[in-house]
Order: sequence, then C-alpha cells, then structure tokens
Amino acid sequence: MSPDATATEGSLPSKKVLGLFALAMINVAAVLSIRNFPSMAIYGWSCIGWYILGAILFLIPISLAGAELATGWPEGGGVYAWVKQAFGEKGGFTALFCEWSNNLVWFPTVLSFIASTLAFALTPGLAVNPWYMFSVMMIAFWGTTAIAYFGEEASTRFSNVGVILGSIIPAVLIILLGLWWLGSGSSLVLPPLTLDAMIPTINFSTLPFFATIVLLFAGMEMAGFHALETRNPQKDFPRAMALSALIIVICTVLATLAIAIVIPADQLSLASGVMQAIQYFFAAAGIAWLVAPMAVLITIGGVVNLGSWLIGPAKGLGIVAEEGNMPPLFDRTNKYGAPVAVLLIQALIGSAISLLYVFLPSVNQAYWILSAMTVELLCIVYILVFAALIRLRYSQPDTPRPFVIPGGMAGVWIVGGLGLFGTTLAFVVGLMPPSFFASNGLAYILSVLLGTFLLAVPPLVFLKFKKASWKKSAGPERCE
Amino acid sequence: MNMTPKLEHGLVLFLVLMFLIPCGLIVFISGEVPYRLVPGEPVKDAAQAAGITITSVKDTTWNLTGATGGKVYVLTDSSGNVVTMSTQAFNSAESRDAAILLYNAHPVGKGKPVGSLLVVGQYLVYVTPANSGILETIAPELKKTTGP
Repeated sequence: MSPDATATEGSLPSKKVLGLFALAMINVAAVLSIRNFPSMAIYGWSCIGWYILGAILFLIPISLAGAELATGWPEGGGVYAWVKQAFGEKGGFTALFCEWSNNLVWFPTVLSFIASTLAFALTPGLAVNPWYMFSVMMIAFWGTTAIAYFGEEASTRFSNVGVILGSIIPAVLIILLGLWWLGSGSSLVLPPLTLDAMIPTINFSTLPFFATIVLLFAGMEMAGFHALETRNPQKDFPRAMALSALIIVICTVLATLAIAIVIPADQLSLASGVMQAIQYFFAAAGIAWLVAPMAVLITIGGVVNLGSWLIGPAKGLGIVAEEGNMPPLFDRTNKYGAPVAVLLIQALIGSAISLLYVFLPSVNQAYWILSAMTVELLCIVYILVFAALIRLRYSQPDTPRPFVIPGGMAGVWIVGGLGLFGTTLAFVVGLMPPSFFASNGLAYILSVLLGTFLLAVPPLVFLKFKKASWKKSAGPERCE
Repeated sequence: MNMTPKLEHGLVLFLVLMFLIPCGLIVFISGEVPYRLVPGEPVKDAAQAAGITITSVKDTTWNLTGATGGKVYVLTDSSGNVVTMSTQAFNSAESRDAAILLYNAHPVGKGKPVGSLLVVGQYLVYVTPANSGILETIAPELKKTTGP
C-alpha cells in the first residue's frame, strides 16, 4: 500500500488527498451562504449582537470541540466516530443518522434556492414555472450526487473551486461595495453605530429566532467526515477549523453589514430573496449589469453548499454500514470509494420530498413544521457531540489528543457547557409555534416532536435487527 | 430459503417510508390554500375587527414576478407590541406559489426563514417578528376575513 493510502478492515483504501486548505473549504462550503446575509441584515446593527451570540454559544464551542475530537479520533464517520467513543454504537449511529436525515428534509429548500437564483440570471419569470424549478432542482441534486460518485478527489476539487467562486468572491464583492458606499459619502440607511444598537432584543417575540441563530454556523464539523482522506489530521484539523471559522465570520459579518447600511430594512423584508437584495444593492451602486453574473456565482455557491451536506453525512453512513450496523446493501462502494447505495437512496428520497415541495408550495405551514424538524434533528446531533466531548475527557483521558481545548477540565466544561446550553435551548425554543399556529399550538408541537422522533429512530431499528454477517469484513468484497 | 435479503429489503423500504410518510402526512394534513380573489384589505379589516391599531400604512410592490402591489402596515396593541405586516397581491396562483417557494428557500443557515408568511387568497402576508401577541390576535380574524 502506498504511504498515501490507508484501509479500514474490509474496505477500500482511502486516498489521502485532503490538506489544510481543502479541509477548511469543506467547512466554509457547508456554512458560508450568501443566502443568509439579507435575512440577517433586516436586524440592522443588532445583527452584530446576534452573530456574537451565535459565535459564543455555537461557533466557538463546535470549532474547539471538533478540533479536539477530530484529532483525538481521526477515524472515518465524523460525528459517528466521536459520539460512538463516548456513548457506544447506539449514540454514534443516532447522531450521524440525525445529521443525515435532517438533510433530506432540508435539501428541497437549498435546491429551490439554487433554481430561483439561476432563474434570476436567465429570466426571473422562470421561477414561476414549477416544471423549470423541478428540472433545475433535479439537475443540481443528481449532478451533485454524480460528483460525489467520483469520490473524494473529484468532490474536493469541486468544493475548492466552487466555494471560492460561489461563496467567497460574492461575499468579498458585497463587502467591497459596502466599503465603496461608505467611502463615497452616500447616505447610510442605518442610524449611527452605538453599543445599544448592537445589542439584540431578546424577548418572547424574538426567542424562536434564537434557535436559528445558534444553528447559523451549523456544519463546522463537516470536515470530520473526511478524516480517512486527510493527509495529516492531527495537524491539519485544528488549523482548518480556525481558518474556516475566520473566513466564515469575516465574510458573514461584514457582508451582512454592507447590505444593512445600503438597503432599507423594508426593502429587505420583501420575502427576503437574496437576489432581490443584490439587485437593489447593485442598482444603487450603478452596476446593475453585474446582477446576472452574480446570480450565476451565487447559484454555484448554493450547489457547493448542497454538495458539502450531501457528501459528508452520506460518507459517514457508509462507514456505519461497513461496520455492520446497517444491511450490506448500504455499504456498497464503487471503485472511487464513494458510498453509492447511500447516495442513491438519499437522492431518491430527496427527489420525492422535492416533488412535494415544488408542486404543493401553498402548504406553507407544512414547510414551517419541516424546517422546525430540521432544527430539532440538528440540535440532537450537536447535543450528543458536546456531551461526547465532556464524557471522553473522563472515560478516555489518556487518548492522545494533538489538539486539546485549553484550560483543562474547566476549559472543556466551559466549551462543552456553552455548546450544550446553546443547542439545548435551541431545541426547546425551536418547538415554540409561530403565532399563526396559536389556535393549535399543541398540535404543532406534537407534529414537530413526532416527525423528529420518526426521523431519528431508524438507527435503533437497524441495531435491533443487526446481524454479524452484515459486517463488511465478514463476507466477500461487496464493492462494485 | 434465505430470509436475509427479505430483511434487508424490508429495512430499506422501512427507511424510505420513515421519510416519506411523515413528510407526506404533514404536507397533506396542512392542506393547500386555494388561490382566489379576496376583496378589500384583509390585514386592515382583520386588525380593525381585532381592535389592533394601525399606526402607519404605505404602498409597496415586491420585486417578484406577478406581484401587483400591496401595503406595509405597522400595527401596535395596547401592550406596546409592534408588528410589521406587508401584504402583496399576485396575479396568478403560479406567481403566488413561486413567491411562497422563494420565501421557504431562504432559511437562515439550517434554521427557519426570518418572520413568517401567511397565505390569504391572492395575497401573501409577510409578518415580522414571527411571534407576537398581535399576530396571535389577528390570525383568527384573518381566517374569518378570508372565509372558508
């Protein structure tokens, strides 16, 4: 075997293709989204306070936790490997499955974002045609699945180029335009910056938004799924976490503020479409001709965002299947090492849900419930990760951890505790029904809880029926 | 006879159904909101019926295909709560539904979209913040205004 390849028992060798930059870009692709900027800009200066809250209660804890866990247990499977070490197979499988299942509910939203943004580059009226929407959504979904089929090297190239083109360049362009706006002496739509203005209003009305803010930076653990393909995980993971966090925070905060100082809040709130905001912004800056190219770039960013969530957890599920926790059907890999069966099942389920989404859009309240389920499932993942971080310090204190959260046990309790507090609170407030559900709030809560339960419970069923023969090493090679 | 393939296929089917059944049920139980022309100004009528004060009104047209215009209402109640409700009429079911899709395609991160969106006949009503006593009071009145 070449020094650049390793193999787990019974599996294909993994090519070591990922370095610091590629790992950082995987996280940036998963987290940085231009789509968030106009929605957050509505909050004016107080978006700074919201971002700080998100950073303290989630971004910093998950980055530190991810760095310690990924360097201590640089195995395939990401959150699965980490939580399994702390709570056994049941816990690890549940964490990973929740990360995978929330995607299937979320994919239609990012797919329709891709289709509507691309329509802006072509003819905005196209977005009204459900057949156009569904066609583009399916091309993006199956196209990204096809890239994943060609393995880590192809996915990495796609991610590296795509995230720069589709996320970083548009964000930098928006920031530069904001600076130009400031420098040109044009009037700002925000009042002067004060400390009070930066503090977010937290009350009953804004509490549900808290869950959204905490999960604004969800995806920082994504690089962990690619541990087997990383050249030097012990050295590169902590650096990649720091680099990606820095890029994400700088781009997100500055680009949001650039939009907030130029576009009046009442213009931003008109359905909060990112391209509507960009069009207003670029027209005000006298560069309306750049709207269509920008739409193409943002479409690429959407596809890269989709790709990072589509590939990582699917790889994790492939590892779970290889270990014999799912029937052999799920551990089929191709010659590129891609988990083809999981990718195919994922694409089929995602396509079916997208079909509902496009052709029954006026069932608006249903989509609110599905979004709430996404939040709850993600919270379960992160609660388990933070709990694992703390528990492993007690259960496996001697495992070498090239990156250790500073401050000893106090440090790990502070980091893990903040993360646990943030995600648990997000889980609870994520259940709060919006006011238009007021008359049947209980039905709303039960729907969200039941839906979350159903999408989290399959691992327990798989483990119940688990057979020794399911383990990949137990039978003949099942690769195609 | 080997039972293993049956079990495997059963588990795959189980997995697929565990997604499609809850998602499908939620969508079908929620029910579609039909596109039909609602007379008058639903938000204004509902606010007046609920005893909510409208402090300002201005015209607006969303930059979306098929949007034909609407109003931005700022509402306050006796407790001092403030809510902004922006209405927009659409010239077809397709354009209204495309706007709903666009709204739902803009969650913040992996969370929910900012504010909330109500569908009232040909209108979309965008409300910020999503949770407030005002919206709680006005929502039933809006349903009455639009009728069954």
